[in-house]
Amino acid sequence: MSDSLLLLSLVALPFLGALAASLLATHARNAAAYLAGGVALAGLALVWTAYPTISQGGVLRAEFAWVPQLGLNFVLRMDGLAWLFAGMVTGIGALVVVYARYYMSTEDPVPRFFAFLLAFMGAMCGLVLSGNLIQLAFFWEMTSLFSFLLIGYWHHTQAARDGARIALTVTATGGLCLFAGLLLIGHIVGSHDLDVVLASGDAIRNHPLYLPALVLVLLGALTKSAQFPFHFWLPHAMAAPTPVSAYLHSATLVKVGLFLMVRLWPVMAGTDAWFWIVGTAGLITLLVGAYVAIFQHDLKGLLAYSTISHLGLITLLLGLNSHLALVAAIFHILNHATFKASLFMAAGIIDHESGTRDIRRLSGLNRTMPFTGRLALVAAAAMAGVPLLNGFISKEMFFEEALSADGLLVLPLVAMLASAFSVTYSLRFIHGTFFGPDPQDLPRQPHEPPAWMRFPVEILVLGCIFVGVLPAATVGPFLDLAARSVLGEATPYYSLAVWHGVNLPLVMSMIALGGGVVLYMALQKHLRSGIEGPPLIRRLEGRRIFERALVFLSWRLARRLEGVLGTRRLQQQLRMVLLLALAAGGFAAWHRGVGPGNLVPQGVDPVIALVWVVGAACALGAAWQAKFHRFAAIMLLGGAGLVVCITFVWFSAPDLALTQLLVEVVTTVLLVLGLRWLPKRMDKPGATGVEVVTISRRLRDLAIAIAAGLGMAALAFAVMTRTPPDLLAQHFLARAYTEGGGTNVVNVILVDFRAFDTLGEIFVLGAVALTVFALLRRFRPAPESVEVPEQQRDQSARDAERPDRRDGDTVADWLLVPSVLTRLLFPVICILAVHLLLRGHDQPGGGFAAGLVASIAIILQYMIGGAAWTEEKLRVLPLRWMGTGLLLAGGVGLASLFFGMPFLTTYFAYADLPWIGRVPTASALLFDIGVFALVVGATVLMLIALAHQSVRGHRAERRAETAPRALVPGED
Amino acid sequence: MTHLVIAPIIIPLFAGALMMLLGERRRVLQTALGLAATAALVVVAAMLLLRADGASAAEVQLYRLGNWPSSFGIVLVLDRLSALMLVLASVLGLAAHVFALARWDRAGAHFHPLFQFQLMGLNGAFLAGDLFNLFVFFEVMLAASYGLALHGSGTARVRAGLHYIAINLAASLVFLVGVSVIYGVAGTLNMADLAARMHDIAAEDRALLETGCAILGVAFLIKAAMWPVGFWLPGTYGAASAPAAAILSLLSKVGIYAVLRLWLLLFGDEAGASSGFGGTWLMLGGLATIAFGSLAVLATQNMARLAGACVIVSSGTLLAALGAGQVAVTGGALFYMTSSVLAIAALFLLIELIERGREVGADVLAVTREAFGEGAEEEYLDDDEEIGVAIPAIMALLGLGFMACALLLAGLPPLSGFLAKFAILAPLIGTGADGLPATTWAVLAALILSGLACLIAMTRVGMDAFWAAPGPPPRVAMAEILPVAGLLALCLGLTLMAGPVMRYMHDTAAGLHAPAGYVGGVMRP
Repeated sequence: MSDSLLLLSLVALPFLGALAASLLATHARNAAAYLAGGVALAGLALVWTAYPTISQGGVLRAEFAWVPQLGLNFVLRMDGLAWLFAGMVTGIGALVVVYARYYMSTEDPVPRFFAFLLAFMGAMCGLVLSGNLIQLAFFWEMTSLFSFLLIGYWHHTQAARDGARIALTVTATGGLCLFAGLLLIGHIVGSHDLDVVLASGDAIRNHPLYLPALVLVLLGALTKSAQFPFHFWLPHAMAAPTPVSAYLHSATLVKVGLFLMVRLWPVMAGTDAWFWIVGTAGLITLLVGAYVAIFQHDLKGLLAYSTISHLGLITLLLGLNSHLALVAAIFHILNHATFKASLFMAAGIIDHESGTRDIRRLSGLNRTMPFTGRLALVAAAAMAGVPLLNGFISKEMFFEEALSADGLLVLPLVAMLASAFSVTYSLRFIHGTFFGPDPQDLPRQPHEPPAWMRFPVEILVLGCIFVGVLPAATVGPFLDLAARSVLGEATPYYSLAVWHGVNLPLVMSMIALGGGVVLYMALQKHLRSGIEGPPLIRRLEGRRIFERALVFLSWRLARRLEGVLGTRRLQQQLRMVLLLALAAGGFAAWHRGVGPGNLVPQGVDPVIALVWVVGAACALGAAWQAKFHRFAAIMLLGGAGLVVCITFVWFSAPDLALTQLLVEVVTTVLLVLGLRWLPKRMDKPGATGVEVVTISRRLRDLAIAIAAGLGMAALAFAVMTRTPPDLLAQHFLARAYTEGGGTNVVNVILVDFRAFDTLGEIFVLGAVALTVFALLRRFRPAPESVEVPEQQRDQSARDAERPDRRDGDTVADWLLVPSVLTRLLFPVICILAVHLLLRGHDQPGGGFAAGLVASIAIILQYMIGGAAWTEEKLRVLPLRWMGTGLLLAGGVGLASLFFGMPFLTTYFAYADLPWIGRVPTASALLFDIGVFALVVGATVLMLIALAHQSVRGHRAERRAETAPRALVPGED
Repeated sequence: MTHLVIAPIIIPLFAGALMMLLGERRRVLQTALGLAATAALVVVAAMLLLRADGASAAEVQLYRLGNWPSSFGIVLVLDRLSALMLVLASVLGLAAHVFALARWDRAGAHFHPLFQFQLMGLNGAFLAGDLFNLFVFFEVMLAASYGLALHGSGTARVRAGLHYIAINLAASLVFLVGVSVIYGVAGTLNMADLAARMHDIAAEDRALLETGCAILGVAFLIKAAMWPVGFWLPGTYGAASAPAAAILSLLSKVGIYAVLRLWLLLFGDEAGASSGFGGTWLMLGGLATIAFGSLAVLATQNMARLAGACVIVSSGTLLAALGAGQVAVTGGALFYMTSSVLAIAALFLLIELIERGREVGADVLAVTREAFGEGAEEEYLDDDEEIGVAIPAIMALLGLGFMACALLLAGLPPLSGFLAKFAILAPLIGTGADGLPATTWAVLAALILSGLACLIAMTRVGMDAFWAAPGPPPRVAMAEILPVAGLLALCLGLTLMAGPVMRYMHDTAAGLHAPAGYVGGVMRP
């Protein structure tokens, strides 16, 4: 089998297995277990296949192109260390699968469980085999993710949710730090490839970014491996099903941090910073973990803290900057995985068969579960470091290293103390559970588990014994491979033997063993009292501090800051828009300084100046009245618009003036019609005195307004006093007649040169009309606007007073003279519209203006005649108009495609019509007709939407009187 | 097939216009027409992408409307960036459209034509080669988006929608002011022509031109929701109906697109004295936006608002990355944009499905539960609690989708979010024997911390919705789950096919940073 296929299948198989497992039926427990077990065993077999190469000191490597632009290739690389870890991940994985098959309840939807487990296994394999640092970070976060899902597997319980969330938050945060740290290493080395990085140790250690990179990488490693002060997530992760704990917290998840430190040891270790950070974290964790473990009443809790403590031990070894210590660390990683996995499984068996894990309730199980008891005894003894078991040998190595670390007496002392603690908690685990009187009222009658459930424990315990008795023959070669793959030539001489003669480490071991037993006996009374938590540091609970900090930072503080830095109020948002535009424009202008223009301004004509004074007064008045007198404000706005219109005329822009005038008329009418439905705002003068805050706020807004106005004026002045050497408009003027076939340049621009803009704009108008219609159809007026308006009420009241009139007579009265006039005017206005439309290409006019004129004709009928009357006589189907207009305008554009010309290419010719003679016809005229139809349709649609608001209002009043009729196409 | 360039505009144009003629009663016909149009858009956009990619780095496809020369007519320009945006718009359009067919298209009047106009506006904005034409398509896009934001009515929607309209009208005004100043000084509206003239602008006019550009930039930044002018975004997007929100989420990227296009075009290396104008401010604004967005992500309890806050973070990230002004970083930013656009759209669609099964305001309790539930000590589980709960298939699917979105937005593997952040950071950090400049540190910290904020907030909300208090499984139509799955599958595709995708992005960025090719391509006689 080729290397690349082997490595790839080692990583891919678990993921494929996970996918397959997730597709199984909810309760297909056997199928899922066989699948998972098969995958794990296949993985193990693959690892074993690689042994011949690895044992020769070779490295398997497979590279697949992934993102070559970023120097990121998918590199799988297996050396001794990776091989060892991969073996551990798949081997213990297979045992855990067997165990889980019997542990999980028959009703449990286990395919999900096995799917997560396999995916996690895949992420682990990917991680240990990563030959690229970024890829390592990639799989690193994936292990966080899947461990989150595994820990939260029993998500219906609060404990599982909390445990999962805390684990994810801590480890994923660490992972993000690690990612940053690895990026920095990439900066230093110039590559993320592991081989390159491992060859650049000196460059890394001497780089100015070494310390930040180190801190970030270690943040990742220490959080993952539950080192102080990030250890608190691990005990809470015990809410996971026991097989998960056995897998994650013995061989895999928590070892990942250690793996990373070992992996980068050759390039990052060896400095004081490394020694102090890693060593201190390890030392504290070792001691605190062991101390707290003694006082746990939950079997899994005890094992969790003991795991923390052992991880601390390994971390401390790694921090010592000694080659021998590194070997010891790798050895202990292996040993810890075996005895801790078996202990977790034993704890799970006890829980499973007796119904509780509380040491205070358990006792004397040795009589009902003798075989399990013996297995647990051996494993616990290995944990305590009893001779002839694997834990003893690595602990001896640890003592030796602690002694040889230069001049620090504290190390051997702490090592011995922690070792004594480990003896105590191991004793407690065994003695408290299996010895003593028969247990009282356990939830279940304890008995031995099914043989297959015990099988994985047996295998692991056998491993403990074999390694403990014959270390050099069993584990020696493998350990050597791993150590050599890290240290290479620098691998020191070490001897794996049970007996090294009577030396200081042995003495220390004996003292620790004795001390631990004595301590256990001394603590009997305290432990039996059942008090929760360890003495002295009971109140210092990492989790609580973490939760408080998290809630404060991620919730209270964030909320407060969001409130300060942001706003949900429209007024403030608009203010920010204005201020930012002012600041940006002002800064840009000031930064370089605007020079003088190349045109000389003309003198001011007093007439137009006077008109502008009127316009400005109107604008100011509109702003002044906008709050309480909307009607007045709209009228004044109209006044300002008229002044603009006059200005256009003054400067000889009749097209603009015409359009402006028509737009003013239509918008004013529509606005006023809409005003009816806005709730009235009453000014209550004198009700509350104007406060200082309000005044200052208004003054500030006034200042902003003035600044914006002045800025705009200055900008306009600056632009209008200069003309660029080559202006677009010159092209238009030169070509309007010769190439566009029209003398009205504005119109030629609109329907020819820049017809595409016009096409877009009519779609804007169409979309706005649809929006207005859709909005108003669902519109329910505010309660205070539902009633008949004040004026109508007055008139009706007058009717009621007079005997000769009936209620509603005045309101229903015709405006006789205006209605006659408007009816007479209707055809006239329509003809005017057509006239404007047709002459548009050469003289002021055009489709847009014509459309507005036509819609004014219709608006007049609605205003004077009322909606019902008008619609009886004149059915305008606005959607048809709009659709037709848009299609026509678009179709004209499309037609040119059939002549092989680009979209919207115009055609121009003179047509000989009977009677009329030669008429200039441009395809642009058709386009203009489309514009016309759209404008009519859109305006009328908005008008109808407003008008029918009143009709609905009246209908609500007299629901029974007339049956409603569909008045608008598409409206029921 | 030169006319293919205009197809992304005229397909929705005619579809929308026809729909208005058909009227709302012929719903089946309208629906079929709409589906055909959106599907055709995807095909056309993909073809254009291939065509743009086939061209050499500097080459652009030019389409002269009305057959007028570029010097004064309107032109459409297709380069790699436009093609990429067209693909994004059409894919999002198809997803949102299919999603809407399950129920949302009947929640109010005229959904179908408005939706087509929305796509038309987006596509037009991406193709426009002329500033005023860009404005026109901005308006088409906005006018339709007003309708879509209000689609479905309801107090919250109308309130947020009217805010949105007010802000955007102000932004349009600012846009117009900027364009007028630029036209008044430079004498042209054609973007390529403008870029060509940039170098030789008279000294006394340069400041004025830059003022116009700065004001124009403000308009784009309002759309991109930069701090402090982006507060409108979470409310509007959060209140909009799901398919509308999904398509609106691309609108903020139009602001980014405009900045990317114009800033690199007008203020590139060939812009003489103006070269690099405003880059620092983009970077600073981006960082501030990331910070504010992260706070908003943490501070919100409502899922839809949370997604809105994620849009802000994504905008900020893009602005900061663009502000760096390096080719490779821009390439990474484009990858990030693609990934985050797809993820956020999927999230908006997903949230509606999740919320459907839950009581109103259920997620409000998520934080409070976390904050005050810490006293609940459950050390030992009862036996019946040690049995897993089967998750209904539909909840499992939704949960999986939500998790995927969370991973994408937090920048965690295995989906493309992780690679996207790496693609920005790796070239930004670069290699060297020295330390890093402060801005690089700031961007690094901002990206990492914003990812963390997303992770914390989304875990909080997601655990509550799926684990702690799952409502009854919602009734979800196939047409609703498929678009979400499709969008997320694309993200997975981005991860697997990262090599070719990144190659395209880098080519795009190289073209953008060397505007001479664009200018030459547009202005050729």
